[in-house]
Amino acid sequence: MYKWIDERYNISGLLEFAKKKSVPAYRETIWYYFGGIALLLFIIQVLSGILLLMYYQGTEDSAYESVKYISTKVSFGWLIRSVHSWSANLMILAAFIHMFSVFFLKSFRKPRELTWYTGFGLLLVAMGFGFSGYLLPWNELAFFATKVGTDIAGQLPVIGEPLLKLLRGGEDVTGATLSRFYGFHVAVFPGIFTVLLALHLIFIQRQGMAEPEDWKDLPESERKYIPFFPNFTLRELLFWLIVINILAILAVFFPWELGSKADPFAPAPVGIKPEWYFMFMFQTLKYIPGKVLFLHGEFVGIAIFGIAGLLWFLVPFWDKRTPAGKRNKLITYVGIFVVTFIIVLTIIGYMVD
Amino acid sequence: MSKKMKKYIWKISTIIICFSISSLVFAQTKTTDECLACHVELDDELLTPAQNYINDIHYKKNITCAGCHGGNPNSDDTEISMSEESGFIGIPDKATRYEVCVNCHANDETMNNYNSSLPTDQFDKLKISIHFQPSFDNTGPITDCITCHSVHNISKVDDPRSKVYPTKIVSLCGGCHTSADIIKNYNPALPIDQVAKYKTSVHGKLNISGDPNVAECASCHGSHDIFASNDPRSHVYATNIPEVCAKCHSNAELMKGYNLPTDQYDSYNKSVHGLALLEKGDISAPSCNDCHGNHGAVPPGVESISKVCGSCHVLNMELFEKSPHQKAFTENDFPECETCHGNHSIRYVTDDMIGTQESAVCIECHSSDDDNNGYFVAGKMKMLIDSLKNEDKATKEILEEATQKGMDISDSEYSLKDVRQILIQSRTTIHTFNLEKFKEKINEGFTIVGKARQAGTDAVDDYYFRRVGLGIATIIVTILVIGLYIKIRRLEKKT
Repeated sequence: MYKWIDERYNISGLLEFAKKKSVPAYRETIWYYFGGIALLLFIIQVLSGILLLMYYQGTEDSAYESVKYISTKVSFGWLIRSVHSWSANLMILAAFIHMFSVFFLKSFRKPRELTWYTGFGLLLVAMGFGFSGYLLPWNELAFFATKVGTDIAGQLPVIGEPLLKLLRGGEDVTGATLSRFYGFHVAVFPGIFTVLLALHLIFIQRQGMAEPEDWKDLPESERKYIPFFPNFTLRELLFWLIVINILAILAVFFPWELGSKADPFAPAPVGIKPEWYFMFMFQTLKYIPGKVLFLHGEFVGIAIFGIAGLLWFLVPFWDKRTPAGKRNKLITYVGIFVVTFIIVLTIIGYMVD
Repeated sequence: MSKKMKKYIWKISTIIICFSISSLVFAQTKTTDECLACHVELDDELLTPAQNYINDIHYKKNITCAGCHGGNPNSDDTEISMSEESGFIGIPDKATRYEVCVNCHANDETMNNYNSSLPTDQFDKLKISIHFQPSFDNTGPITDCITCHSVHNISKVDDPRSKVYPTKIVSLCGGCHTSADIIKNYNPALPIDQVAKYKTSVHGKLNISGDPNVAECASCHGSHDIFASNDPRSHVYATNIPEVCAKCHSNAELMKGYNLPTDQYDSYNKSVHGLALLEKGDISAPSCNDCHGNHGAVPPGVESISKVCGSCHVLNMELFEKSPHQKAFTENDFPECETCHGNHSIRYVTDDMIGTQESAVCIECHSSDDDNNGYFVAGKMKMLIDSLKNEDKATKEILEEATQKGMDISDSEYSLKDVRQILIQSRTTIHTFNLEKFKEKINEGFTIVGKARQAGTDAVDDYYFRRVGLGIATIIVTILVIGLYIKIRRLEKKT
């Protein structure tokens, strides 16, 4: 069988290529697995998402009911839905860890700028997946969280109003918003994500794994590597299995709640909170006063996050010292500040009502 | 004797009588009312008021004509006594004539001067009442003091000559309220048969026979502060009615004469109807008049009780009328609903009323020695109701357990809500006193409960299945992890 396939598709050649590939082995190698973990979770998302698609109905009248039907009547529907929700969150978490590890290890430096950009793009699209997917069950919390989230987007000057209408499909969050988000979630975002992911993986395959900065000064003999196949692949597989186990335990012990159906005429429930990965931004906006000089507080907040995100995205541009082989502690300090800021604000967001 | 002669003698004797009476009164009060002295000598419409006034309560209180008409009652010269300077106003304007009454009757000091015990708030009450609204032809209020109390021959309310004496008040109110021509100008929907109905009532019959103590119009509607019956300020607004009736019917002294009990109000207050009306303010709950009628008030007869109760409890009445009890009750002169449920003191109906236990009303007629199967049916119905309630409770506990385990059984929880409705319907079906019909209804409840119970049990089973499944999957994955780990260790040892 192997021979039959190998004759036709030259599998041996591919394995030879994989065996020749190597991964730096040192104390920070652990972080190299998170990209793969995010990839695994994305694959789980695609598979569980396709299964959900078979029963989900993306209309105002039947979205909630169809998700309820999936959770209660469809065989293992509860598991698929719970896995999809948990996997989405774990994927974002893995992507965040992956991004920060790349940032701290300065792996974004030349020649991997494009890998960084595509990775950042993937994170944004993943968050878009999360934001759009959150509304799809059409439950009360999701409805109002979407309302608040899109309201914030509407605060932007000039493009705010048209952006709000584009996102909502009208003035308010309605069935039109649901259809739109559904379209984004199952067609637009997967398309963009696939392209970015393909580029991201091609770049990695072409350039190999980044080596630590201080290896530049080490002689070849002192640099340790492990073969990509089978060693690194099997290790990655080991992590995947652990993640699958964690995912199964979370899905069974903490099934994702559905809550009550969205009622556009009901008052907003107390304690509306966005998904955890938006929490630090949501909480920060609360601390910005209504007016900053002559500008709207929310606009100032969005502007700050926009500029910060852009600077983060463009780090390969402004970090000129690292590629030149010099240490750049500023990058580390910025990274520590950002991680601390996100963690602290997220914790406060969950502790303060 | 010629007609002219007769008239002449009549006039002379009237003058002599009037003169003698006035002289007597004047002698007693030492007051000279020249208006009266002069008017008794006049003809027809100028004479009549003077003739009447001599019997008027105000005349007896030394109030001269000038008290209302102005002028100088001490002068016999009309140029002086009826001059504008003396304040003479003649016949007061219809729109404002009530003011001459109000001037004294709303003034505590003035009334005290006459040693009057009358209240002085009549006008305050009247001016907000429905009767004081402008008349349709805009000639003043619909009614004022004179409309009811008349003029020149006013007597105390408890004086049988008074227009508002209890036995006269019905025809007084009826003067307008039986006239479609008048009433249609104000409220075309208002019936005009109240007096006709009243005459058929126990109250009406006694009133016609001259009993001033029975309820007449003012007893219930009030006198000066009358409002539309749907106005919460009205004495006959739904929530005020029990108290209005109780004014007389809880008065032991008064009721002694009629041989009537006086505990109805206390019983009603504690009844399911009384609590709904008086505590919850539910004006759809029946008050005294809903069962006894209002204007045509009579105690419902034995046969009409189910009709009275059935005006609200329609289904119960229909089922009862087709039941074997209807015939048996009629034959034995048992009041229909009342036999089991009581009358004024109707309490919340509980399931303990049916069955064969001590609290059941069924055993008052049925016993285990009966030839008929009434005793058996009562026991069976009670058993089925209790059984459904217990099943429902047990199922809710199973569903609660499933919910606590994180399983979604909201559909079953929702379907169980129907059981409550079916229990209510089953309790209504009891009034057929037919076991088969009762079973037909209550079995719907057992079916729902059975399905919900199964769904709850399945959910709990599914919960354990999930955990067992997870356990197996975790073990397999863990074995794979360990195997893989060993494989990696071996592989890396080789290299």
